[in-house]
Amino acid sequence: MEVIIFVIIVIAALLVIVSGIWVAIALVNAISAGSREARSLPKENKISKIKM
Amino acid sequence: MNFFLSNVTVVAYVILLIFVAIRARAAREFEEFSVAKRELPLALIFGSITATYVGPGFSIGFVGRGFVSGFLFLVVGIAYAVQNILVGLFVAPQLRKLKDCYTLGDAIGQKYDRKCQILAGIISIGLCTGFSAVMISAGAVILKDIFGLPPRLSVFAVAGVTASYTAFGGLRASVITDAFHFALFATLLPVVLLSALLFHVGGGAATFLKNACSATIYGFKSTPPLEIVSLVGAFLLGETLIPPYANLALASRTTKVSRNGFILAGIFSTVWFAVMVALGVVARGILPFSTHEDNVLLNLVKVTMPTAGYALLLVALISIVLSSLDSLLNAGAVVFTQDIVKQCSRLSDRTALNIGRWATIVIAAIAAVGAVAVPSIIRGLLICYTIWAPAILPALIFGLWLKHPRPLAGILSMGIGTLVAIMFQFVFSSATEALAIIPAIGAALLAYLLGHCIARSSSLVPLPPQGQACPRESGDDSLDEGRRTMEE
Repeated sequence: MEVIIFVIIVIAALLVIVSGIWVAIALVNAISAGSREARSLPKENKISKIKM
Repeated sequence: MNFFLSNVTVVAYVILLIFVAIRARAAREFEEFSVAKRELPLALIFGSITATYVGPGFSIGFVGRGFVSGFLFLVVGIAYAVQNILVGLFVAPQLRKLKDCYTLGDAIGQKYDRKCQILAGIISIGLCTGFSAVMISAGAVILKDIFGLPPRLSVFAVAGVTASYTAFGGLRASVITDAFHFALFATLLPVVLLSALLFHVGGGAATFLKNACSATIYGFKSTPPLEIVSLVGAFLLGETLIPPYANLALASRTTKVSRNGFILAGIFSTVWFAVMVALGVVARGILPFSTHEDNVLLNLVKVTMPTAGYALLLVALISIVLSSLDSLLNAGAVVFTQDIVKQCSRLSDRTALNIGRWATIVIAAIAAVGAVAVPSIIRGLLICYTIWAPAILPALIFGLWLKHPRPLAGILSMGIGTLVAIMFQFVFSSATEALAIIPAIGAALLAYLLGHCIARSSSLVPLPPQGQACPRESGDDSLDEGRRTMEE
């Protein structure tokens, strides 16, 4: 019995850590997507100017 | 050395936070400031909801309760998980489906009328400011402990840092920094538990179970059943769809993301509570029983972790506070712009964005002034919960699900719910403090029913000719009411 509860608590702690890592990965993706978008903005502006 | 390391760690954390906030970019339009252009993915919605609800109460508070009453609070906490799952299943997708909706007040305005929206807006701003005051107060206590700063300077530092990045980046900056904070504390605190379980509890699993059983039995014996019922009520209803959560429901990429974000956050809350309560149970075998419950987490980390670990925990605690505070400030600012200013005058997008930014700063300033007067973190939070649930929930939920919700019912429910909650909190507080939420919700439900019946029986206004101006645009709500009754 005690071993089962102990294992459940350890699994809960690991689940929280995994959630933290999942959100951290999403954060890095969101930041890099934001950077890509920011870098692509001047290019789009240039293209639209050429088209005009 | 200890003091030096703490300072270096906290300064490094603040620099990293500013870097993340800058990378989140300044909001360029009101839709980006208020709902992040409705483009947020599941992981960020989940991270932001959890980072917002995991405040000092759900971390330091739960560890302390685990130390005193074992797994009793895990049982109570399940009510919170149920609430989030129910919101995910039945409310969040309905909210996300509404078009041009930026706030909870907007949803109420679309379902009832403009007066209801303004009243919901006023209540929401009051509550966001109250919650923010409590969070600033908690953050100031932590800063004071680390640096030994005077209380007012600590309050100013917490409010100033959070308001600065929230005012410029809006919801997107708030969500991005929430994800950063969540990643920090969700990896640091379980490591404390694993380290204590594996290396510091003599006797391993058997000792842990023995401590858990004795504490839980004591917890159930020493807590009256009525108090357990009222705690379950507060966990089930108190924080339901407060403005920051509503904004996240509206900012999610799709209705599916909105639903799944809340369901996942609900399931996660049970796992989180189990970890926090287990930390408290572990501490029973390590710390003296005389330790005050609010100091259990800090003392446990001091005893079981190296100096660097303690400094990192301080950072985790600051991040727990800031992640709740930034969401509240952004929600309050958006509500002020959308539900109050925009209802009184037409605004260009640029003006709305600027008003939102200034509102963030003003709400932070008012909350900072109020933070000095907050009696205690838990008491402050309970006051806010007790007012929020009766004031908004009946009107919102009936509004979303009834085919023809009546504005009179909405106004009466919000007004009477707020008044009764305030009355039971402050006038009859000694008799009913823990249970104030229950009579207040009862009164709000009765008022809604009464308003619905009165409006239904007295709304035999002739149907206006087809093609007449839209009642909401013309501001004549009685015509809208009459048309609805005739259609029924």
